Amino acid sequence: MKSLFKQKEFSILAIVLLISSILTFVSPVFLTVGNLLDLIEGNVVIGILAIGMTLIIITSDIDVSVAAVTTAVAVSISYLFGFLPDSWISVLLLFLFAPVIGLVMGLFNGLLVSKIEIPAIVVTLGTLNIIAGLVLYITNGNYVNSTSFPQSFLSFSNIEILGIPILIYLLAIVAVGTWFILKHTLIGRSVLAIGGNTQSSVRVGINYQRVKLFVFAYMGFLAGIAAIAQTAYTKAVDPNGMIGLELTVIAAVVLGGANIHGGRGSIHGTLLGVLLLAIMQNGMILARIDTYWQNVVTGAIIVIAVSYDQISYKRSQDKLANIEVEA
Amino acid sequence: MSDYILQMKNISKTFPGVKALDNVQLEVKKGEVHALIGENGAGKSTLIKILAGIHQPDPGAEFYFEGKDAEIKKPIDATLKGVSIIYQDLSLFPNLSVAENIYIGRDSGKKAWKKVNWKNIKRISEKALKELEVDVDINTKVEQLSIAQQQLIEIARAMAFESKLIVMDEPTSSLSSSEVEKLYRVVDKLSAQGISIIFISHKLKELFRLSDRFTVLRDGKYVGSYDVDTIDEAKLVNLMVGREVTYEKNQSQVKTGEVIFEVRDFSKSGNFKDISFQLREGEVLGITGLVGAGRTELAQSIFGINKKDQGSLEIHGEPVDIRSSEDAVKKGVAYVPEARQTQGLVLDQSIINNISLPVIDKLNNKFKFIDRKIEVEMAQQYIKSLDVRPSLPELPASKLSGGNQQKVVIGKWLSAQPKILIIDEPTNGIDIGAKTEIHKLLRRLANEGIGVIMISSELPEVLAVSDRILVMRNGKISGEMDVNQATQEKIMNYALGGNGKQHESVVIEKEKVSQEV
Amino acid sequence: MKLSKESILGLIALGTFLFMALLAPGFLSSNNINSMMFQIPEFGLLAIAMMVVIVTGGIDLSITYIAALAGVGAALMLTNGFGIFPAIIMAILFALACGAFNGFIVSKIGVSPILVTLGTMVLFEGVILAITKGSSISGFPDAYSLIGNGYYLGLVPFSIVIFAIFAIITGLLLSKTSWGRRVYMYGSNEVATLYSGVKNSKVLMKVYLYAALLAAISAIIMTSRYNSVKVDLGSSYLLQSVAAAVLGGTNIHGGYGKVIGTIYAVFVFQFIRNGLNLLGFHSSLVDVVIGSILILVLTMNFFSDKFKKKQEQKNASQAA
Repeated sequence: MKSLFKQKEFSILAIVLLISSILTFVSPVFLTVGNLLDLIEGNVVIGILAIGMTLIIITSDIDVSVAAVTTAVAVSISYLFGFLPDSWISVLLLFLFAPVIGLVMGLFNGLLVSKIEIPAIVVTLGTLNIIAGLVLYITNGNYVNSTSFPQSFLSFSNIEILGIPILIYLLAIVAVGTWFILKHTLIGRSVLAIGGNTQSSVRVGINYQRVKLFVFAYMGFLAGIAAIAQTAYTKAVDPNGMIGLELTVIAAVVLGGANIHGGRGSIHGTLLGVLLLAIMQNGMILARIDTYWQNVVTGAIIVIAVSYDQISYKRSQDKLANIEVEA
Repeated sequence: MSDYILQMKNISKTFPGVKALDNVQLEVKKGEVHALIGENGAGKSTLIKILAGIHQPDPGAEFYFEGKDAEIKKPIDATLKGVSIIYQDLSLFPNLSVAENIYIGRDSGKKAWKKVNWKNIKRISEKALKELEVDVDINTKVEQLSIAQQQLIEIARAMAFESKLIVMDEPTSSLSSSEVEKLYRVVDKLSAQGISIIFISHKLKELFRLSDRFTVLRDGKYVGSYDVDTIDEAKLVNLMVGREVTYEKNQSQVKTGEVIFEVRDFSKSGNFKDISFQLREGEVLGITGLVGAGRTELAQSIFGINKKDQGSLEIHGEPVDIRSSEDAVKKGVAYVPEARQTQGLVLDQSIINNISLPVIDKLNNKFKFIDRKIEVEMAQQYIKSLDVRPSLPELPASKLSGGNQQKVVIGKWLSAQPKILIIDEPTNGIDIGAKTEIHKLLRRLANEGIGVIMISSELPEVLAVSDRILVMRNGKISGEMDVNQATQEKIMNYALGGNGKQHESVVIEKEKVSQEV
Repeated sequence: MKLSKESILGLIALGTFLFMALLAPGFLSSNNINSMMFQIPEFGLLAIAMMVVIVTGGIDLSITYIAALAGVGAALMLTNGFGIFPAIIMAILFALACGAFNGFIVSKIGVSPILVTLGTMVLFEGVILAITKGSSISGFPDAYSLIGNGYYLGLVPFSIVIFAIFAIITGLLLSKTSWGRRVYMYGSNEVATLYSGVKNSKVLMKVYLYAALLAAISAIIMTSRYNSVKVDLGSSYLLQSVAAAVLGGTNIHGGYGKVIGTIYAVFVFQFIRNGLNLLGFHSSLVDVVIGSILILVLTMNFFSDKFKKKQEQKNASQAA
């Protein structure tokens, strides 16, 4: 039991609960099923992307191209709508095409990081420029709205099961699936292993390059799914709609306890991180805090979280290096 | 069926600029404990890395496993052949559990989406730990274990692999004597089960206790293989070194000059306790003891990097307060760390830039710019007086040999004109010729008035250089003596404490140093 | 003869210039040259600021928001009736405060720069939004707009002169002063500098302060040129400045980087942007080209390094 309280995820949960209870007092609306569902549904895209980013950060890399990749897939979806018949099959096909398009872009990042050994920040900065530029060029920055969407897709996005929107199920499937990969498959354990100690992983025969390739490809794959979620949620495709979202995603992952030093991070932690950011945003709206102050609070929380994490990391390192001194 | 589990023939390995291995061979019989010995730089670790599949040998190399032709291109090839390697710096994952660390690697090469069988992991890891008689919870994360425990986990991993051949690279270097005994029993047991072991160690006594055969390497070349009953320690040392080498014990008289440096009541919880000593003018003070006795921690505390809990310092009778390495340099305390390449030097930068680093502020001209002329002159002066070779001031420090790198680190500190120079394992990984040079240099500096404190595990070195010797054990000073009263046996008694095993260990340490010189 | 990385890049910049001069109509017209000269300083200053941080092995994702906040500082002074000089001082003070904040958390607490500046980027953006309520501040005195739009001796834009001065100062600081030396040494091996008595935190703090100062200068030029300031002032330069520093030869892991290389990279980017514009390419394609160049150059570096290593290996085995 003691170890549970020591876990980083636990302290994030405590903060989430603390803020929630404050908000419950501030606004009676906060703790209503409707508000909470809205809040979660509004963060499905960030959640899916953050789950992919968790794997990358565990291997102590970073991907700043996620928002651009997601937008690119969303734009592709809007073009696909022109070719696909208006039927349920098309929605299913979308779930095949979109992740594959994302996967290809992710593979490109992954190849450059793993085989060409260019630092991930530089690679993804480059692909961010390329992809975002191409998207703007092709779309001319034009917004596609729901009038051109097939009816089947619109009804898909309005599905509710047991009163819960379909997108929340989508997030849940991605979360459980990724958790399973991370916890129960060889490749998932390899992700944690190379994050923990790269040299050791090479020595025990883990194909380090393949794992790197996997995390970036998987990120692309999830970006494809996130693009469907984004399109379904906003019922529009906006080429400029997600600029800068990658930073929110990274912030959520870091808040959730993953560490850029590698080896640490979990799906439930990341989900808590997403939730924490979401609740703060929601709470500030409910508490009628001037929207312009919201970034100040979010930024301050990120800075405090990473500083706190670093301080406790240093402490734990200090404790490790002890000699048994005679009394 | 072949008698040999492993035969490696015609193994050469060329790195840019160096021929690390030249036509070396290694043959290990089934079930034997095979000692692989040689000095630092003889090529042992390169050979092992080739066996492990981390390095590729030059063309022409031949491998046979159980008499059959084999290829090792990647680590997994070695694993599949039943080879486990326990590196000295371990190959563990701090963020994973003990169980997973023991199990990891068994699935390498299998499909990425293969499901992990946690029950199997639990069963295998528990069995291995039980065999090894180690009492650790398999769910503990490895980062929470001590180094000795971590080493045992690594050995458990090799056992769990059911390997046919286990390579152990200095496995006892950070184990306590009871843990060492346990390891010996494990090795005996494994070889009784028909598992072959390649054992790398500097402790000759240990090798004679364990091994059936020896393979000796020298300067990247194969010297020979010998059965244990056809050879003795003296002959072995001779084969490794290729010549007789001994240091002469320092014959100097006890120094009675004034006290130039005093450490009083230094303590830091978990590091060291109640350390007090004095250093006299012209004196070299040797601090020795086992690895992990707190020597380096103490030195780093004096230097201001490792924050002490309490204690005070006096230099030339003046109390000084050192809270950071910057303070230390200002007050005239210099520290040459053991990890030359990571802590001592900025490898990518030139010799000049390294030498001037601590004093770069003092080389400003009237425009507040670095006076390059003075800087170059200063660097060249130290390159010359310390005989750094090649004497190319603009050469990156990474291109120098270990001995010359050490001279650059010393030069760096001489440029700061220190009153006190603390030097940690001054000749670690340095070849013989350069070692004696460094020893002479330290004596010279002491004669020139710099207080020298030398931390060393090599007893002949301690005896050859020091005027006075402090022995540390478990974070405390356990003995102090002048060099003319000191012997290796006496030092080891203090280092080990009153413990029945002391005599054997003394001899072990003695052998270690005599073969390393 | 062996050319340095920077000289090769200089030749590439020259090549790009000639290429565009040949291809793009009006590239060499005085109008066009002029407009490029007005655009280079603001971007160049941010790129140099980023380069200095990258030499320490860090990155400053908040740099453009520091610039925007500095711009807001200047704008507040100007619109409240203060003169140009107090406005400039205020811009610099705002920026230094941001730089000190980054520097404190990076150097004293030891958080990795990418995380710190990710947080402060959101934080500074928030502060700007809170001050400006999301709208722009505009309407500065004519004298102020001279900084970004005026000419020195009627020939060279003031902003280019300012840029040149700061480029030279940065070059001198990095290559000639003890601080600069320590920046490089820290970037190569921060543990060794610590063990050599270097106060790492002081070196780093100055780096973040200096980067912030350059951001402030860039902000002054930008606000003067646009005659207004908004939260996204210069934000499009963020990733481009990293790209320019890296293309300019700066080692993303720290320890190496030169002002001149970064300036050449800024030139290359500017020529490409401008030339493509004249050729009628969509402006968003410029980003595509810049991103592609970045990745291409690094990929070529990788293969040429590999080739060199192989050559060395070969020579070594032949010699042996």
